[in-house]
Amino acid sequence: MALLRLENVTKRFGGLIAVNNLSLEIQEGEAIGIVGPNGSGKTTLFNVISGVFFPEEGRVIYEGKDITRMPSYKRAPLGLGRTFQIPRPFGSASVRENVATGAMFGTLAGKVSVDDCLEIADRYIQLVGLEEHESKEALTLTPVEKKMMEIARALAMHPKLLLMDEAMAGMHPKDIDKTVAFLKKIKEEEGISIVAMVEHIMRAVVGFAERVMVIHQGKKLVDAPTKEALEDQRVVDVYFGHAAGEGNAKG
Amino acid sequence: MKKNIVKYYPLIPVLAVYLIMFLIGFFMPGMWQMVALLAFYCALGQSWNIFMGMTGYVDFGYVTFIALGTYGMSLGITYFSQFEWLGMGIIVIGLILAMFLAALAALLEAAIALRLRGAYFAIACIGINEGLRYFIEGAKIWGGSEGLIFFGALTQSLGRETVNQLTTFWADFSVFVIAALAAFLNMHYMRSKIGYALTAVREDEDAAKVMGVNTTKYKTLAFLTSGLLGAAVGAMAWGLKLGHVYPGDVFVIHYTIECIVVVLLGGAGTLLGPVVGGLIYGLSKYWLAIIMPGFQLLIFAPIIIIIIVAFPEGVIGVLKQRVKRTALEKYIV
Ligand SMILES: Nc1ncnc2c1ncn2[C@@H]1O[C@H](COP(=O)(O)OP(=O)(O)OP(=O)(O)O)[C@@H](O)[C@H]1O
Ligand SMILES: [Mg+2]
Repeated sequence: MALLRLENVTKRFGGLIAVNNLSLEIQEGEAIGIVGPNGSGKTTLFNVISGVFFPEEGRVIYEGKDITRMPSYKRAPLGLGRTFQIPRPFGSASVRENVATGAMFGTLAGKVSVDDCLEIADRYIQLVGLEEHESKEALTLTPVEKKMMEIARALAMHPKLLLMDEAMAGMHPKDIDKTVAFLKKIKEEEGISIVAMVEHIMRAVVGFAERVMVIHQGKKLVDAPTKEALEDQRVVDVYFGHAAGEGNAKG
Repeated sequence: MKKNIVKYYPLIPVLAVYLIMFLIGFFMPGMWQMVALLAFYCALGQSWNIFMGMTGYVDFGYVTFIALGTYGMSLGITYFSQFEWLGMGIIVIGLILAMFLAALAALLEAAIALRLRGAYFAIACIGINEGLRYFIEGAKIWGGSEGLIFFGALTQSLGRETVNQLTTFWADFSVFVIAALAAFLNMHYMRSKIGYALTAVREDEDAAKVMGVNTTKYKTLAFLTSGLLGAAVGAMAWGLKLGHVYPGDVFVIHYTIECIVVVLLGGAGTLLGPVVGGLIYGLSKYWLAIIMPGFQLLIFAPIIIIIIVAFPEGVIGVLKQRVKRTALEKYIV
């Protein structure tokens, strides 16, 4: 059984079709990259999966259960975790409290005390390297630190499926390598399936994903093992055709 | 265990202030009136802050709860004082009715207004408050615009001497108890899962939902707690103490504004803030009314505006930053 299955999902904004009849299967323990030009519908896809928006058509099946119209707050305890493209920290709370909040309301909800959650938070804060900033208010972090904190907060949820929306954008190549390394490690140790949209950062795609889905104008263009997908002529045409310079420069 | 007690240290300064206030009022002749007034503002600020401070939602209709609490007590005494064997029990009944009416209103209001955000929420709350007042007056329930006058009934049932003690001491004393209870609940919420959930709601409600926070549940809980405490203050400080209630006297937005000022002066979302705010507000109001009766608002309003603009974080908000990484950090929240 697939961990997550999208069946012909369509999400419209007025006349604009942001996600167009898209189907996708994610197996337990997979590492998938999603790439596509700006505005191709990647974030919208995540929003549909995490329940921020409900799709007009199609179904979202998680662990065999139809969650298409389930409110977002009920999905986190089932194991759906995510980060946001534009970080959304709980600004006045400390980094430690932010990450602990993830632990408190994720899959461990109801099984852990506040103190347990703070301890869990410490572990992930250390993992992403924010120990020094632990007691700072989250809003005082730099953008990249905020992204690191979001990763820690999502991991503290102990998700089964982690959706990372350009979490590594803007990071130094050294930090990208470090992040990819600990994500891989944690994926193995805790059995998390990770879907990361990595867009232009080829360094992360190649380093991290076993399989890549390319979307273009809301439609799935290619879904194949990483190397194969990135060498596909259609992908080269629509995506790297106009983003080649940037892609190469950053890769 | 030790660790858990340390978490509640910030209650110490709050309770110490309440104790000192009480002792001053109790032992210094002529001070009780003033101290009772201060406790009233502290209790209301503390109660209102549980919802506003923790969620960031500004409930402009908060006075609804105080008013319904007053009505609960008034109805209890009006209709049950005929049963003499109930004795003091009528006050318990009044308090239960106050809680019941406030809970009903809080849950209804939560279902309607808590779906809205920002200004829409504030306006919906004002609307409900005004609606309720005109409903009581128009439908002529609970005495309509004539209100309920039950001082006589109370005296007949409990005797002059008892009623005198009730209205001049116990009604005020209970406000202290409510204020302390509000502080304790606020502290408990801050230190538990509820506090984390509400901070997430306040900072980014949509992100909170995605992180698994049942935002409606936690908002409703804070709203209900805040409303019930406000109703308790109304029941004791207005209902029992005054012995009458008129809709035009109690459903008055002015009192909500006073709660807001108290909380903003002291520091929204802080534990000690509403106490300090209540003291500053209550004392200034009291003294200005004595020094220049009639003109107090003229001077008072600009002073408040200046303080709030200069210290948007409130007195305790500023102090909290100052004591960071000092020994006082454990106590000031
Ligand atoms: N809330 C919204 N309301 C209206 N239109 C939206 C909304 N969210 C996204 N869109 C539109 O849907 C389309 C897909 O946007 P989306 O953010 O999903 O793309 P993306 O692939 O994540 O892009 P990027 O690489 O820039 O992050 C865009 O045309 C965008 O303008
Ligand atoms: Mg996006």
